[in-house]
Amino acid sequence: MSNTLKSTGPSDTPEEREYEMRAHISSIWTGSRLFIGIYTFMLASLVFSYFYLRSSNNGLLWRPDHVTAPRPYGLLVFGFSLLTSMLAYFGRKRLVKGSFSDFSVAAWSGVGTGLLALLFQILEFSHLGFFPGSSGYASCFVGFAVMNIGTLVISAYWLETTVARGMRIRRELSGDNPEFSSHPRARAFRADVASMAYFQVFVALTGALLFAMFYLM
Amino acid sequence: MTISEERSTEVTGAASGHPHKARGLSWTQRPGIFSQNIITAAVVAILGYVLGHWFGNYLSSGYDYIQNSGQNNIANTLALAFGVVGWLLGIGALNYPFAKLFGVDGLEEESPVDNWTKYFRYSLDHKVVGLQYVVGVLLFLFTGGLLAMAVRAELLNPTTHLFSPDTYIKIVSEHGTIMMMMMTSVIVGPLGNYFVPLMIGARRMAFPRIEALSFWIFTAGFMVIFSALPYGGFPTGWTGYAPLQTQAGPGMVSYLLGFAVIGVGMILAGFNQAVTIINYRAPGMTWSRVPIFVWSILATAALLTLATPVLFAGGLFGLLDKTVQTAFYVTEHGGSSYLWENLFWFFGHPEVYIMALPGFGIAAEILPVFTRRPLFAYKVAAAGMIGVALLSFFVWQHHLFQSGINPDMRPLFMLTTELISIPTGFIFLVGMGTLYRAKIRLEIPMLFVLALFFNFLIGGVTGVFLSDVPVNVTVHGGFFVLSHFHYTIMGGLLFAFMAGLYFWLPKMTGKMMNKKIGKIHFWMMFVFFNLTFFPMFIIGLLGQPRRVFSYATNLQGLNDFSSVSAFLLGLSFLVFFYNLIWSMWIKPEIAPANPWESMGLEWQTASPIPPYNFERIPVIMTDPYRYSEDGAPAFADLGNGGPSDSSTHSMA
Repeated sequence: MSNTLKSTGPSDTPEEREYEMRAHISSIWTGSRLFIGIYTFMLASLVFSYFYLRSSNNGLLWRPDHVTAPRPYGLLVFGFSLLTSMLAYFGRKRLVKGSFSDFSVAAWSGVGTGLLALLFQILEFSHLGFFPGSSGYASCFVGFAVMNIGTLVISAYWLETTVARGMRIRRELSGDNPEFSSHPRARAFRADVASMAYFQVFVALTGALLFAMFYLM
Repeated sequence: MTISEERSTEVTGAASGHPHKARGLSWTQRPGIFSQNIITAAVVAILGYVLGHWFGNYLSSGYDYIQNSGQNNIANTLALAFGVVGWLLGIGALNYPFAKLFGVDGLEEESPVDNWTKYFRYSLDHKVVGLQYVVGVLLFLFTGGLLAMAVRAELLNPTTHLFSPDTYIKIVSEHGTIMMMMMTSVIVGPLGNYFVPLMIGARRMAFPRIEALSFWIFTAGFMVIFSALPYGGFPTGWTGYAPLQTQAGPGMVSYLLGFAVIGVGMILAGFNQAVTIINYRAPGMTWSRVPIFVWSILATAALLTLATPVLFAGGLFGLLDKTVQTAFYVTEHGGSSYLWENLFWFFGHPEVYIMALPGFGIAAEILPVFTRRPLFAYKVAAAGMIGVALLSFFVWQHHLFQSGINPDMRPLFMLTTELISIPTGFIFLVGMGTLYRAKIRLEIPMLFVLALFFNFLIGGVTGVFLSDVPVNVTVHGGFFVLSHFHYTIMGGLLFAFMAGLYFWLPKMTGKMMNKKIGKIHFWMMFVFFNLTFFPMFIIGLLGQPRRVFSYATNLQGLNDFSSVSAFLLGLSFLVFFYNLIWSMWIKPEIAPANPWESMGLEWQTASPIPPYNFERIPVIMTDPYRYSEDGAPAFADLGNGGPSDSSTHSMA
C-alpha cells in the first residue's frame, strides 16, 4: 500500500480531507447519474429515429415483408446482457451485506456474460440476413446494433475495472475488508460499485425497451 | 495515504519535487524523447491513420459498391478513427483506462517536468488545460478566420471569380463548421476549465483525466474536420443537410466523424464542469453565492451533456449511411432527409446557447467589477440562464419552418422561440440594471462587455423577428439570417471571450496586456465588426442568398463595403495577436495581483496560483458582489491570514 508516501499537496487538516472525500464520493454519485442522462439522450435519438421513420414510412419502405432481425441472436444478446446486469446488482447487494467474495464471483461472472453478449451482438451484426439500407427498420437496427456494442463494452469495462480495483484494494488493505473499511479508497470503491450497479440496471431497462422495439413490435 | 493526499499527488505531479521516486513512473512518463507528448501523439496518430486505411481497404475489398466509385468511405472512416485513437494513445490519454483493467487506481500521469513542455503534454492540472485551450481555440479561430477572408474576397465581385462555385461552397462549409464546432468550447474550454475551480474555491476538477481528455479529443476533432479539405471538402454548409450529405464525396466523412469526435469532447467537458460545480463548491458557497459566471457554465454544461449526445447519434447514423450503406437519411430507401434536420437542430439550437450563455456569464461577472456595484438582480440572472437552457430544448423546429415540419406545428414553435426571448431579456436587463447610474471604469474588458450588449441587442431583436413564421419564410436562407447569427455569436461570444481574456490573462500569466494596443484592437474590432455585418441585413433583405458565390450586380457596392470591412476586422485580430506576443514575451509588464480590484475568489488566492489553488480550502462568508457596501465582509475566509495582498508577482 502506498500510504507510506508523503503528501505532495498542502498539509490538509482532517476536516479538509473529509470535505474533499465527501466531494469525491458525491462526484461519483452525480457523475454516474449524469452519465445515465447522457446515455438516455443518445438512446432517445435512436428511439426517435425508429418512430420517425416508422411513421414516415417513406416509399412504404419502413419494413417491407416485415423483416425481423435474427431473433435467436437477439435473445442471446439480451439474455446475457440482462444476466450481466442482474449479477452486478446481486454482487452489489452481497457487498453491502459484507461478502466481498460473493461480489467478486458475481462480478467476474457478469464480466463473462457481458463479453458473451458482446460476442453475440457482433456475430448478429455480421449475420443480419438483410441489407442495411434495404429499409428504415434495417437502418435503425444497424444503428441499434452499433450502439449496443458500445453499451456492452462500457458495461463490461465498468464491471471489470470495479472488481479488479476491489481486489487490489482488498490486497492492499491487507486483511481490512473494503466492504466495511473506513479507508478513503474503500469508501470511494463502494461508491463506485453502487454507481456501476445503478448503470447496469439502466442498461437492463433500456435493453428491454429496445429488444421489444426491434424484435417484438 | 488518504484519497485527498493521493489526489494531491495526482494533480501536482512534478510540483512535489520527487514524484518519480515516489510513484515509480514508467519510461513513457519520464522526461526525454520517449516521454509522451504532442510529438509522440502525432507520430502514433499517423501510424493509426495508415493502419486504419489499410484495414478499411482490407475489410471492404470484396464490396461491389466500392468498385469504380473512386472512393472508399470505410477506409477513410477507419483511417480517421484510428488516427484519433492513435492521437490519444500517443499523448498518454489511454494509459489510465488500460491500467484500470488491472485494478490500478490513481496512476500518475501528470507530466513529470514543470516547465513549458507541460503545455504539450497530457496534464491533469486544470490551469494547464485552460491555457492549452486558450492556444487551441485561438489557433482554430485563426484558421476559421482565414477561410472567412477567402469568402469575402470571392464576394468582392459578382462576375469575376477567385474560386469555382464548388470550391467556394466548400470554403464556406469549412469556415462554418470550424467556427460553429470549435467555438462551442471558446469560453467553456479555456476560461471555464481555468477559472471555475478557482471561483468556487475548489482545489481541483472532479475528474481531471476527463478534463484533459476533453481537450485532446477537441484537438483531434479539429484535425478530423480540417482533413475534409484534402479529402475534397463537403458542399453542405455547416448544417450538413441530406440528401446533399448522402451525395457528397469523402470530405463528408470528415465532417460527420469530426462532429462525432468533437461531440464526445464537448460531452466530457460539460460533464466534468457540471460535476465539479455541483460537488466541489467551497464550504459556505450556497447556490445563491455562486458567481454568475459559474452559473452560466453550469447551464452550459447541462446543455453540453444533454444536447450533444443527439448530435453524436446523428453523426453516427450519417457515418453508417456512408460506410455500411444504411439509409437513415435516404428517403428512397425508407429513410428521411428530415430525420437529419431534426437530430441536427435538436442539438444545433441549444448549441447557440452553449455559445451565448458563457458570454453572458462573463459580461455579468465583469460588470460589477468595473461599475463597483453589486450585480443587479443576481437571482434573476441565474434564473434567466437556467430558463434559457431549459427552453432551448423546445425551439429547434423553428429551423425547419421552411422544410420538414407540419405547417400546423409552426405556431407552437414560433411561440416557444419567442418565449425564450424572455429569460434572455432577463439577463440583458440585469446588465442594464447594473450599468444604471454607475460610475463606469472604461477598461478594455469593460469596453468589450459594453460592445457585447450593443451587438447582442441587434442580434437579439432581429432574432425575435426571425422567430415569426412570415418573416422567417421571407428571409430564410439569405444574408439577413447570416448577419443575425453573426451578431449573436460573433458579436456576443467572441466579444465576451475577448473581454474574458483581457480580464483574466493577468491572473493566468502574471502579465498585463498592453492597454494602448488593446484599445486599438477593441475599436477596430467593434467598428469593423458592425461595418462588416450590418450591411448584410440590407443585402439579405435585397435578396442575396447564402452560400452562393455570385449575386446581382446592383449589390456589389454593399458587398464590397462589407468585404473591405471584413478584411479590416481580420486585421484587428492580427492586432490582438501582436498585442499578445508583445505583452507576453517582447515587453511584458508584470501584473498586480488584483489589477481590477475584483472581489472574485479567483483573484484572492496567491499569485502565481499554487498547484492546489488554495493553501486552505476557503470558507465563503457572504454574497459575491457587495462592491458598493462600506464595511461589507470579505467574500471568503482563505484561512491563511486573509486575501492575498496586491503586490506584484512573477510567473514561474
